[in-house]
Amino acid sequence: MKQAIIFKVNGKDQQVFAEPWWTLSRVLREELDLTGLKVGCGSGECGACTVLLDGKPVRSCLMLAPRVKGREILTIEGMAKDGQLHPVQQAFIDHFAVQCGYCTPGAILSAKALLDKKSDPTEAEVRGALSGNLCRCTGYVKMVEAVLAASETMRRGESAHGR
Amino acid sequence: MKPFEYLEPKELRAACGFLAQYEGKAAFIAGGTDLLVSIKEGRVRPEYVVDIRVIPDLDHILYERDSIRIGTLATLDEIGHSPLIREKVPILAETAQQMANPGIRNMATIGGNLCTAAPSADLAPPLIGLGATVKIMGSRGERKIPVEDFFIGPNENALKDAEILTEIRVPIPPPNTEGVYMKMTARTAIDIALVGVATLLRLDDRAARVGEARIVLGAVAPTPIRARKAEASIKGYAMDDQLLESVAKAAAEEAKPISDVRGSAEYRREMVKVLTKRVLKKTLKIISEKREEK
Repeated sequence: MKQAIIFKVNGKDQQVFAEPWWTLSRVLREELDLTGLKVGCGSGECGACTVLLDGKPVRSCLMLAPRVKGREILTIEGMAKDGQLHPVQQAFIDHFAVQCGYCTPGAILSAKALLDKKSDPTEAEVRGALSGNLCRCTGYVKMVEAVLAASETMRRGESAHGR
Repeated sequence: MKPFEYLEPKELRAACGFLAQYEGKAAFIAGGTDLLVSIKEGRVRPEYVVDIRVIPDLDHILYERDSIRIGTLATLDEIGHSPLIREKVPILAETAQQMANPGIRNMATIGGNLCTAAPSADLAPPLIGLGATVKIMGSRGERKIPVEDFFIGPNENALKDAEILTEIRVPIPPPNTEGVYMKMTARTAIDIALVGVATLLRLDDRAARVGEARIVLGAVAPTPIRARKAEASIKGYAMDDQLLESVAKAAAEEAKPISDVRGSAEYRREMVKVLTKRVLKKTLKIISEKREEK
């Protein structure tokens, strides 16, 4: 029997009627048209379905819809503010850290979660934060570079579109 | 996913009540990172999913009378970052940080890791080495058993019908005890261990002889196991290279690995030897570094 799931997504209050066996990934993609997150493996290993739940990265493909009642979700669509890309998004572009783009939303959100907690991460910490986001294209080097560059940008408090 | 009824009991008794009422057709869900995968892969088909996450007082990490009490719902991330655990039993925090990946760690719980009872459950070797016990609640009341006895076989735990694991109690080891857990995996994250070894060591104050040793092996037997013969072989002796070699060999002999997609039995047995040496060396290093600090 469907239940009303009331929660906040990208800063906006949402109400979705969902069956309890629907995953959060299905709710976000199909009920709210937030197709930035992808379902890669469906079993929590690839990270393409990563969203932030109250600021922490989670596997939306393994989360049942009722679990997010009253909680706050951030998807990749919610990263840009007033038309300006988040420094992590901009850094991914500037450092060529995007190829096919499938893993990108999840990786960017994982990176944001790290930088919100730790403004000066080591390379090892960045790799750790991205360790759950599998990428078949880039080999990770540019992604790590992008995140370290974004951390510097964020520390200096620069706006994202100044180059 | 196949449809199911979703129940959210507000207290433990109600949760167990549901399991009793829907005998065999109900499953508890905590983090969901094991259950949902099993459901998706068709290995379990519960008609009722009982979500225990709104039940209060199941996610604590507390210090009480020389023990740390960890609620069954404490997540791997919470355990990895808990200042209390990092201070008193750092091996648990370090183990939690080696598990799965950040997204899973924010969802998965210590109770779930134990209840799924995979032979490779990473938290098991350190908990067994520390002599931890679990508290189980059921219709007939409460009982406590050692973590070692909670594992019965592959994916088989000691819970009887309508029982629930509520808490893990970890005795704080005597001073100067250090321990390390290492897991061998194909990749640096995400993977299930093909071999896991935890060791806890306490050296005698003066002679640097082994006062107490625990060596616990994961993923190389139907359950996590203590390598008791290996442990006995070093008690009272000074750890030198020769002893390291022989204790590692002894531990490997106590392993009962199978061949599967993660590795052959022969490779796993050899890796028990390699990992046992590594964890012991690292533990000895930590002990000597801490000695120098004093």
